[in-house]
Amino acid sequence: MAATRAGPRAREIFTSLEYGPVPESHACALAWLDTQDRCLGHYVNGKWLKPEHRNSVPCQDPITGENLASCLQAQAEDVAAAVEAARMAFRSWSVHPGVVRAQHLTRLAKVIQKHQRLLWTLESLVTGRAVREVRDGDVQLAQQLLHYHAIQASTQEEALAGWEPMGVIGLILPPTFSFLEMMWRICPALAVGCTVVALVPPASPTPLLLAQLSGELGPFPGILNVISGSASLVPVLASQPGIQKVAFCGALEGGLRLLIQESVWDEAMRRLQERMGRLRSGRGLDGAVDMGARGAAACDLVQRFVREAQSQGAQVLQAGDVPSERPFYPPTLVSNLPPASPSKGSSSVPWPVVVASPFRTAKEALLVANGTPRGGSASVWSERLGQALELGYGLQVGTVWINAHGLRDPSVPTGGCKESGCSWHGGPDGLYEYLRPSGTPARLSCLSKNLNYDTFGLAVPSTLPAGPEIGPSPAPPYGLFIGGRFQAPGARSSKPIRDSSGNLHGYVAEGGAKDIRGAVEAAHQAFPGWAGQSPGARAALLWALAAALERRKSTLASRLERQGVELKAAEAEVELSARRLRAWGARVQAQGHTLQVAGLRGPVLRLREPLGVLAVVCPDEWPLLAFVSLLAPALAYGNTVVTVPSAACPLLALEVCQDMATLFPAGLANVVTGDRDHLTRCLALHQDVQAMWYFGSAQGSQFVEWASAGNLKPVWASRGCPRAWDQEAEGAGPELGLRAARTKALWLPMGD
Amino acid sequence: MSAHNRGTELDLSWISKIQVNHPAVLRRAEQIQARRTVKKEWQAAWLLKAVTFIDLTTLSGDDTSSNIQRLCYKAKYPIREDLLKALNMHDKGITTAAVCVYPARVCDAVKALKAAGCNIPVASVATGFPAGQTHLKTRLEEIRLAVEDGATEIDVVINRSLVLTGQWEALYDEIRQFRKACGEAHLKTILATGELGSLTNVYKASMIAMMAGSDFIKTSTGKETVNATFPVAIVMLRAIRDFFWKTGNKIGFKPAGGIRSAKDSLAWLSLVKEELGDEWLKPELFRIGASTLLSDIERQIYHHVTGRYAAYHDLPMS
Repeated sequence: MAATRAGPRAREIFTSLEYGPVPESHACALAWLDTQDRCLGHYVNGKWLKPEHRNSVPCQDPITGENLASCLQAQAEDVAAAVEAARMAFRSWSVHPGVVRAQHLTRLAKVIQKHQRLLWTLESLVTGRAVREVRDGDVQLAQQLLHYHAIQASTQEEALAGWEPMGVIGLILPPTFSFLEMMWRICPALAVGCTVVALVPPASPTPLLLAQLSGELGPFPGILNVISGSASLVPVLASQPGIQKVAFCGALEGGLRLLIQESVWDEAMRRLQERMGRLRSGRGLDGAVDMGARGAAACDLVQRFVREAQSQGAQVLQAGDVPSERPFYPPTLVSNLPPASPSKGSSSVPWPVVVASPFRTAKEALLVANGTPRGGSASVWSERLGQALELGYGLQVGTVWINAHGLRDPSVPTGGCKESGCSWHGGPDGLYEYLRPSGTPARLSCLSKNLNYDTFGLAVPSTLPAGPEIGPSPAPPYGLFIGGRFQAPGARSSKPIRDSSGNLHGYVAEGGAKDIRGAVEAAHQAFPGWAGQSPGARAALLWALAAALERRKSTLASRLERQGVELKAAEAEVELSARRLRAWGARVQAQGHTLQVAGLRGPVLRLREPLGVLAVVCPDEWPLLAFVSLLAPALAYGNTVVTVPSAACPLLALEVCQDMATLFPAGLANVVTGDRDHLTRCLALHQDVQAMWYFGSAQGSQFVEWASAGNLKPVWASRGCPRAWDQEAEGAGPELGLRAARTKALWLPMGD
Repeated sequence: MSAHNRGTELDLSWISKIQVNHPAVLRRAEQIQARRTVKKEWQAAWLLKAVTFIDLTTLSGDDTSSNIQRLCYKAKYPIREDLLKALNMHDKGITTAAVCVYPARVCDAVKALKAAGCNIPVASVATGFPAGQTHLKTRLEEIRLAVEDGATEIDVVINRSLVLTGQWEALYDEIRQFRKACGEAHLKTILATGELGSLTNVYKASMIAMMAGSDFIKTSTGKETVNATFPVAIVMLRAIRDFFWKTGNKIGFKPAGGIRSAKDSLAWLSLVKEELGDEWLKPELFRIGASTLLSDIERQIYHHVTGRYAAYHDLPMS
């Protein structure tokens, strides 16, 4: 018999039956760092970029603090070099047929498959996350993402006709993230023909490795460029000429909030504690731990949170098999946190904390769950189908898992609402993030420095009487159309409207901040009823409005004539407006569909849900057609609307309001006339407006984008570019439908 | 072995509100296998521990006294002595937990074990194993005869038709009678989970079996098409935990059928450790019903000790 290899401990373990270390060898990760002499630069245009005279930041093992490598910090010129490389690459990458891009993505997936150990050990080593999570989850999903998007690229010419890639995408990643978050964004971008410059925080080797793997594949070295640098480079990247879109990614999901029905509170808490006690924490590279550690900063954060909660009288339970030294932190269950306590108000719970609170009824749970600024994902656990679906549909989030948690698949769009952002990853929705309708002018990245955000639209120029009204009578009722009736404006003043020959056409009410507040409130009141209507019922109402427009055709046409439109063209505009209403009513009948996902028994429903209260600032031109073309999709998808009609001639919209007053429920569509910039300001700064469409000047667009960052509402701004509203593609194209609703993925695993 | 489970009254209200969440159980089953492994000395020690949980089983039509004798000898000396010495475990008295045979072979097993000079219990399957489709009277008589022959553990099969038709009271009464027929012998109740239709039924049958006084609940006979699976085991272990929380009685768990590799046995140990805790990891509360598992464990131990993979002739057969 050969020499004995057994150690002395077997006896002891035989009695204790404890777990031992299961170290995953990370020699290959270190060897890879050695190929760079432990000094990581940037990966640009298929080559390592290591400029001289740059500061460097150490990349440390978050658990031992050991220095693994030093990472060069980019400066503005490095960013410019990366964007330039991406621009050059875009020229060839975007014009190749989809199948070529598909091949390239497939090859990248295969390279990842061949070098997966390097990928997972490196990621686990530098992030401290459990290697099992990276190996069995992230790395596999990364390959699936590439394969899925390769298929999308190969069918792009047919499936996405009428759309073109945006160009160079700037991707900004937060201080803590999984490389998977980068994959969710770069895969669709690359698939549709965009190229990417990713700005990663210092000391993130995994994205650099991915860029290297992609770059070494050959023909398209510049499609994925990764530079590492501090957050101060974000504006530099965003303002580089040629950057067409900047995609952000939030920090890694932290802790969780758990709502438990009072009737099962004790039982559920007991089971939760039991389960927590069995969690194992340890070095990420140990193959048998449930959780790793996320470094000293994360540890400080959670310590502060827990101390704060304790001082407010919360119950804190910590359990699990966790090394006692920093930066390890045990899984923590916080309950009895007083409802008004500051730590409850702050929406984010740090990892690894779960804050549990009781609720009485499902309705109450829904109110509590929706009462936060976050809207990423949620899971519902219930054995009662009706109840689970009620909650699933009612939760204001991007993803709902029924009786499951944390499942993801490339074909299922993942996104959010409210402050969790409004972009989509995966599925068809993810592709449109990096596409624009063919022929749309490119974005000019230079922002106007002259725009004063504090004063834009703040004051309303005063208006004086301009003489008596003469025009086709009867004039539409005077006032702002709010809550289903015409109301006098808060300011009690009016604005003269002139016709094409400069004569007075009529007076409209001068709306202000209070009127906007009232209109948004009215729209909110109408929203639940309207959103709850079936698409068929909504279509019926839009069709009724179309019929009313046709009855009012002669008045509308003569008003258009006064604005300088020829009678024939004016009549055509009225007819086209009616057609738009009918078309959108019909289109939303077939919305949403069922997805089938690998590895899941049961369907995933892709729902299209209304956004909420939508603010629409109409363009000056096409005073009737543009107004109706925007109103129709917004209403058809179940939104309620606050509209600022054409500033040049709001009278046409007010004519339509007369019919809406008789046909529509109060508050469904509200029309506020007045100074365009002022009303835009009020709407963009309103935190309870869920989305905003702005068709006007470049300056106004810039303001709307700036102001909307306050609640991260999705914005669609024309940036001063005119639109051909009478053309099908621009006036009623699929882009409007995409913008008028958001997607929700509802996972329904089944089994008995 | 510990005292018998005296059982409880039949509590149908408890049974009726049970709901098992199928997708969640599947997910937990998937995770637990990926999240826990043991290596090196830990693996060797855990494998030796697994040996002590084995009900070394032969349930074949061609069993005779000679292969029963060999089985009993293997039960007494499951791992080659020199390997145990190398691990410094030769004085731990490592044997399998029991031998498990058909009723007609109980006498042979008792005699062989006596000859080998050890007190490893003999378990006998009974009650019309494996289908349970015989008259209650003969099923009860079968138990009594096996106990008379010297079996101290009786593995009974339940009447699946009672579960599938929801006759919980009748099921409770039958198992009560089995319990009584066992006398001093331990009652291990085989649920034949592969034939119960749903995880909710598995939980309900587990609970009835424990209420009626089973000392162990066992997954399967090894003769169904679906044997011991992780999802089923999780449901049974949760039922055991709930029963313990409610009554304070610890009931044992025995997966059987299809557990062939050393790696499988480690996964089962960690499953029990995770779901019920260390206090269940002893032969009084945990058994693995298996026939070929032991030889694979011995091969792994051989490899651990020598650094070489064993040829089949290197290790004695059972």
